[in-house]
Amino acid sequence: MSRLVFLYDLDSTITKQELLPTVAKELGIYDKMVELTEKTMKGTIPFKESFLQRVEMLKAVPVSQVREIMGNISLNEKLVEFIGKNKDRSYIITGNLDVWIEDLLKRIGMERNVFCSKAFVENDMLEDVISVVDKNAVISQMVLPFVAVGDGNNDAEMIEAAEVGIGYGGVREVAPSVHTCATHVVYDEDTLVNFLKKLA
Amino acid sequence: MSFSRTIIISCAGMGNRLGLGTTKALISIEGKPLIISHLEMLKEEKDIRVVVGYQADKVIEVVRKFRDDVLFVYNHRYRETGTGASLALASKYANEYILSLDGDLLVHPDDMKKILQCDYEFVGGNDVESEDPWMMQTYKDGDGIEKVSAFSKCLGNYEWNGITQMRSSKMLNGFGHVFQLIEPYLPISFMKIRTCEIDTIGDYEKAVQWVRNNFGGME
Repeated sequence: MSRLVFLYDLDSTITKQELLPTVAKELGIYDKMVELTEKTMKGTIPFKESFLQRVEMLKAVPVSQVREIMGNISLNEKLVEFIGKNKDRSYIITGNLDVWIEDLLKRIGMERNVFCSKAFVENDMLEDVISVVDKNAVISQMVLPFVAVGDGNNDAEMIEAAEVGIGYGGVREVAPSVHTCATHVVYDEDTLVNFLKKLA
Repeated sequence: MSFSRTIIISCAGMGNRLGLGTTKALISIEGKPLIISHLEMLKEEKDIRVVVGYQADKVIEVVRKFRDDVLFVYNHRYRETGTGASLALASKYANEYILSLDGDLLVHPDDMKKILQCDYEFVGGNDVESEDPWMMQTYKDGDGIEKVSAFSKCLGNYEWNGITQMRSSKMLNGFGHVFQLIEPYLPISFMKIRTCEIDTIGDYEKAVQWVRNNFGGME
């Protein structure tokens, strides 16, 4: 067994659908959401600002409703299975809110192994965002060498700092900033999982 | 059979000498990019890694149109390193054996079949034809098996064509030529493989003729 720790982006890496746009679609505000998401993935606006704007769009919706939609999102099941088998040294790093992804994390079995943004909820409504995760700050805490898997601009720093930094383009196109620093890029879930097994 | 192999195709280099402005693996011979010629012959292989650097986006795009299950390995330092570095990067976390091919090479289809049936370490070579080749000295051992004993600029019975199958654990460190990674482990079995490497416009024209002649007339 290697000593590598595994860090995963959640959105479009573990999930087969993009979280916020999927929620927005169900609520009929898809176009506006997608525009912001695209800009964020490409890195033309900072993640924190874009995320807060996108949260604002969903603030009028009960938290339980968002949580349910996210809980039913389709997943890259083979990847989820691999994560489950290596749970003790796997972590999800996502900008998404703890109160929204709770059910989804339980489904993946990773509710304890997560670094995410946090929010304050009252009467099933989102009151305030408490913190937005800084992926760079999370990886700076790592002692052991790690493998990082992600697709977006906000994953580039953890992929660059990784012993093995993998851009996964199975759900959406890998961001240009990830291409410039990844050690590997892969587009097929089976190929990704087979490679991860060699790292485990 | 417990034999496990990872195929590594190095396509990171710039191909300056050819003057076509494209990385050599994307050069088309009779309408088909060299990298696709490789992949067509490797259809049955499960674990294929393509090393990319210069024009990585274009190489990835062309490969993905053919098959989507390739693992792309980045050699970001392709400007200052050679194919040895690309091979070393791709040999990490690989199967027990790696088969290394250069992206700028055209291989005789019959010889590729021979390569894929081989389950031991070998070094590939062809009759000396290039203007400035790395050559290999060989000898026959007690069992009559031809072995490569040395690589050399000035002496040898065959020209090294960059094809080798080795244990991946031996290929993890290097930055120059691929044969420099192999040298410490000589002697290794020799395999004659008919190939055409595309370094110059002359090579390119020769390769086109070779394909047009159905890989005949290049003995």
